[in-house]
Amino acid sequence: MAPDDPFALDLAWTHVSPRLAAARLTVAACWLVPLAVVVALPALLSGVAGLWALPAVVVLLMAWLLWLVPRQARALMYAEREDDLLIRRGIMFRSLVVVPYGRMQFVDVKAGPIDRAFGIAGVQLHTASPSSDASIAGLPPAEAARLRERLASRGEARLAGL
Amino acid sequence: MTANPARVVPEAAGEDGYAWRRMHPITPFLKGWKIVFAVLVVGWTQMADNVRNAGQILGGNGWLLALGGFGVIAVLAVAWSYVSWRVTRYAVTDEAVHLRQGIVFRQQRQSRLDRLQAVDVVQPLLARLVGLSELRLEVAGGSGSRVSLAFLREAEADALRAELLALAAGLHRPTTNGLPGAAQPGLGAPGALGGARPDGVPTAGADGALGPAAQAVAPGSAGSDGAGGSVGGMDPSVSAGPVGGFAAPYDLAAPSSYAGNATGATPTYQGANQPPATYASYGARGAVSQPVFATAPEHLVYELPMPRLLGSIVRSGGTFWTITFVVAIAIMITAGAPFEAIYSFVPMAFALASFFWQRINGAATFRAATSPDGIRLRHGLTETRSQTLPPGRVQAVRLRQPLLWRGKDWWRVEVNVAGYAHDRERRGSEVVLHPVATRDEAMLALWLVLPDLGVDDPAAAMRAGLKGFGEDGGFTAAPRRSRWVDPIGWRRHGVLVTRRALLLRSGRFWRRLDVVPHEKTQSLALEQGPLQRKLGVASVAAHSTHGPVVPRIEHLDTAVAVALLEEQAERARHARRTAAPEQWMRSQ
Repeated sequence: MAPDDPFALDLAWTHVSPRLAAARLTVAACWLVPLAVVVALPALLSGVAGLWALPAVVVLLMAWLLWLVPRQARALMYAEREDDLLIRRGIMFRSLVVVPYGRMQFVDVKAGPIDRAFGIAGVQLHTASPSSDASIAGLPPAEAARLRERLASRGEARLAGL
Repeated sequence: MTANPARVVPEAAGEDGYAWRRMHPITPFLKGWKIVFAVLVVGWTQMADNVRNAGQILGGNGWLLALGGFGVIAVLAVAWSYVSWRVTRYAVTDEAVHLRQGIVFRQQRQSRLDRLQAVDVVQPLLARLVGLSELRLEVAGGSGSRVSLAFLREAEADALRAELLALAAGLHRPTTNGLPGAAQPGLGAPGALGGARPDGVPTAGADGALGPAAQAVAPGSAGSDGAGGSVGGMDPSVSAGPVGGFAAPYDLAAPSSYAGNATGATPTYQGANQPPATYASYGARGAVSQPVFATAPEHLVYELPMPRLLGSIVRSGGTFWTITFVVAIAIMITAGAPFEAIYSFVPMAFALASFFWQRINGAATFRAATSPDGIRLRHGLTETRSQTLPPGRVQAVRLRQPLLWRGKDWWRVEVNVAGYAHDRERRGSEVVLHPVATRDEAMLALWLVLPDLGVDDPAAAMRAGLKGFGEDGGFTAAPRRSRWVDPIGWRRHGVLVTRRALLLRSGRFWRRLDVVPHEKTQSLALEQGPLQRKLGVASVAAHSTHGPVVPRIEHLDTAVAVALLEEQAERARHARRTAAPEQWMRSQ
């Protein structure tokens, strides 16, 4: 992160767990590896060289994900301020979302089986707007619970109507 | 459910202690008719697919069979609707509306009245013929959160609407809370709304004319001859006046003469049009079954003339398609195409016809009025709809101009209201504040939502927002280098921050101006793609509730965008703190 990064807003950003990348790659591997095997079979059996193009594409996709996913996970970070939560994501396509606690309608904490195996959970804030995409994936469960508690209590204290 | 037995209506107490009421007994026939109609349509389309086969089947005694089957379906439909009517009941308490329904899956829904976002009275053609209407309550509960009371007698629906709005505003029924009627006049001072803010600071001066205006009205509400007394003297027959007198809606003189108050401030519709007598006279009524709350009086602000509506439809994309369509058919006929090929165009003709019909039906007889309950909109030709948007329920406004309306300088004004338009494809006439507005009317429509735009010269700001380019009217524009990412529209991208709202301008050919009051911003986002980063520009989005308005400003200078995001978060926070209460007649 460059020091003059305009998206940093001079805040202390908390990165999500690096295990998020591992978890996401595992999910991707779950369907990409079988896919690679399936598309490689005709090439193996028939021996036609042209048929190797398909598995090659799948392998390229895997390599790209191997590069992209950890990068995405590194770019995902959040900061808590007095009145709002800020979430940053992306390196190529960057975004920064500011969600005031008072606007929060409810909070979700979610963890799928693979997430649980890696010891991470996701927190999602919902406002009355469908566009506000305020989710933080890849938090350690304790941190997710702490954040949920904190958001819920702050939301209540600052609850307004719509 | 009976957490608060003190509020129970004693004489009509049923199960749960609520006074359950039924819909009108004709309801099953009106609802059953819909099912029958659906069957007819399906049958008709099936027949249209193979006309010759249908002719053979219906020849001889086949038509008797068809008629019999149809009769059975009709009886079943009505029977189902009847059972459904039997189990459907509703009850109104001071805090909530309860609705029970469902034959197989029972459902009891309780909707909090202080979360009420809009109340619609809808009359489909058939219901209108027999004098019934449907009452729809919108709460901001996401998809399917609407409470629909169908069908009620017209007078009953109107009375219920008045009652619900009054309860939602924070007033109480005289009998249910045991207060003597004499104590009620206190409720007649809704002017306190502007004066007694939680922080105790009236939003006076340049920032908000709300305070003085509302305070000036308060004495009038109490029935004296105070400054607001002239408001009381306003005759409904004058109501046509404002349209003519509103050449410049944000011209401060015009609205205040409309309200008849001498403070010279822009009055809010809550304050300015407060009916002095209405809410003060509740006490006399005793029985709950009687209409407890009188309907708030309303004052017409604008209406849509039919010729303009037709003109606007002629200047729409539909006309282009119709011409293309007619030309295509003409070519096919002259080329001697077979009948089947031409017949295949029939669905398209239907689609076009329904497009035009919906446009006309939704917007015909459109009129907007102010009332103490908020904005009143009435429209519809066969199916009429009367909407009430209480104060502070509009989340965002969009003024947009289709390409072909430029010459006439017409604008379409749409709003985001939480609860409306959850299903995007059926997003219809209910989110429209003005279907075809002249520029003055467009400003007037915006004035309905936001009486104080928060700038010293609102007319100039609006002019710049609607037609301006670059730095016109104090707008902060996208820098010149952003033409690499948006060569056509870059000069229109601009943002203006006023004391009350955020104005976002865009669209070179399809002009657009979005207005988001500061206190209605849900969350904010800053976005930047790789090209934008190279150019040092970024986009800012202000998230609003579901609806046609998606406020967003593209390609601002990065530093400007970041500053806008930071400042807007702060402004929204501040505006929320001082925002009017949800229960708009309460001063809390």
